[in-house]
Amino acid sequence: MSLIDPRIHQVLDGELSRQSLPSELRPALERLEAAAGVLRSAMARRSVAAWVLAEIRRPRPGPMARLARWLIERHAITVSLRPTWSFAVAVLVAAVVLVPSHGTEGPILSAQEGIAQFVGRFPGARSVEVVGSFTDWRSGAIPLQDDDHDGVWQTEVVLPAGEHEYMFVVDGERWVADPLAGRYVDDGFGRQNAIIIVRPGDR
Amino acid sequence: MLLLAAAVAPLAAQSMRARLAGRVPAAAVAPVDSIVRVAEVDGLPTDPLVRKALEGGAKQASPDQIVAAVAQVASELREARALLLRGGGGGPVPPAEVMAVSAALVRGLPVPLVQRLVAVLPGEPTGPALHAVADMVGHGFAQDSAVGLVVEAVGQGLRGLRLLDVATSAVHELQRGRTHALALAEVRRRLPDVPTPPTPPPAAVTRARRPVADTTQP
Repeated sequence: MSLIDPRIHQVLDGELSRQSLPSELRPALERLEAAAGVLRSAMARRSVAAWVLAEIRRPRPGPMARLARWLIERHAITVSLRPTWSFAVAVLVAAVVLVPSHGTEGPILSAQEGIAQFVGRFPGARSVEVVGSFTDWRSGAIPLQDDDHDGVWQTEVVLPAGEHEYMFVVDGERWVADPLAGRYVDDGFGRQNAIIIVRPGDR
Repeated sequence: MLLLAAAVAPLAAQSMRARLAGRVPAAAVAPVDSIVRVAEVDGLPTDPLVRKALEGGAKQASPDQIVAAVAQVASELREARALLLRGGGGGPVPPAEVMAVSAALVRGLPVPLVQRLVAVLPGEPTGPALHAVADMVGHGFAQDSAVGLVVEAVGQGLRGLRLLDVATSAVHELQRGRTHALALAEVRRRLPDVPTPPTPPPAAVTRARRPVADTTQP
């Protein structure tokens, strides 16, 4: 359906003279002529054919430029997934990330070394360490941990195989004999040292 | 040889003093040094003496307590060496054996019993056998019975830490509710098949670390 009066069509087609058109239709005629003038001037500046040829002749950008452009521009990506497979992949990724690996890590022991485990229950302690002949009775070398804050402190440490005397030091000042050691000897200072016998290659 | 020994001795003394410096009260250093020098002349291992002094320093013991404790260790080592010399036919006495016998005497084993075990293991390490007997005595086994079991295990070919497994088995039998006599009989019946202790679980092995070297202390 045309909204333009048929008489305007006739004037534009040259079938009627401009003077024969009623005065109320002349503004519409003038607007249409102005629009046609704009279109004519645009087409005169650059034709579609010329524009297409210019695009064809323009040098192709290099791979890096294309990559940069691809990265910058927005893309619509459609991913099609099967829920079962998606769930399986998620489980696999979680297993790899969350499950720790065992057996291949840990220290390499020499033939004259073994692993000693120290465990003690010290509820409320701020720190616990084991000090003994294996550290020359120097403190600070073997702290125990209570990661879950249940009062049970423990550590595993590589020691020379053989017999060692030791004590726990709680909160940096209280010397305590290991109640689980089973072997004790008077230390000559009014206390008892525990004795541990480390087996070589104990792993 | 004598010249070499004369040259090395001052170096060893310097090294010992360096180990004690800052960790043992100054008043104790000279007496400890004196005890160590005499022990060295007597052919005793000196490392246990220095360690005892360091232990006293770490435990905030007084200089007098430290000197007394070091002198006590020297006395125990001297007694152990004499025992080994009596039982060893005049051969060389390894420092490790002196320390093992000394530890057994400190744990309360009587001299005749220690002599019996030393005689059963001529020229071999006696430490595990002595600890095995001391472990059993510590759990209420009669001294003679404990020595008898360990000697029998040696006769069946068990050596070294496997002798500790004998004592562990006897203690386990007690924990299962057997009397001391029945526990001994059960372990004796199974010899030489005694279970080895469980190895640490893989997670513990993975967590194991070497002691951290502390550079903040002298």
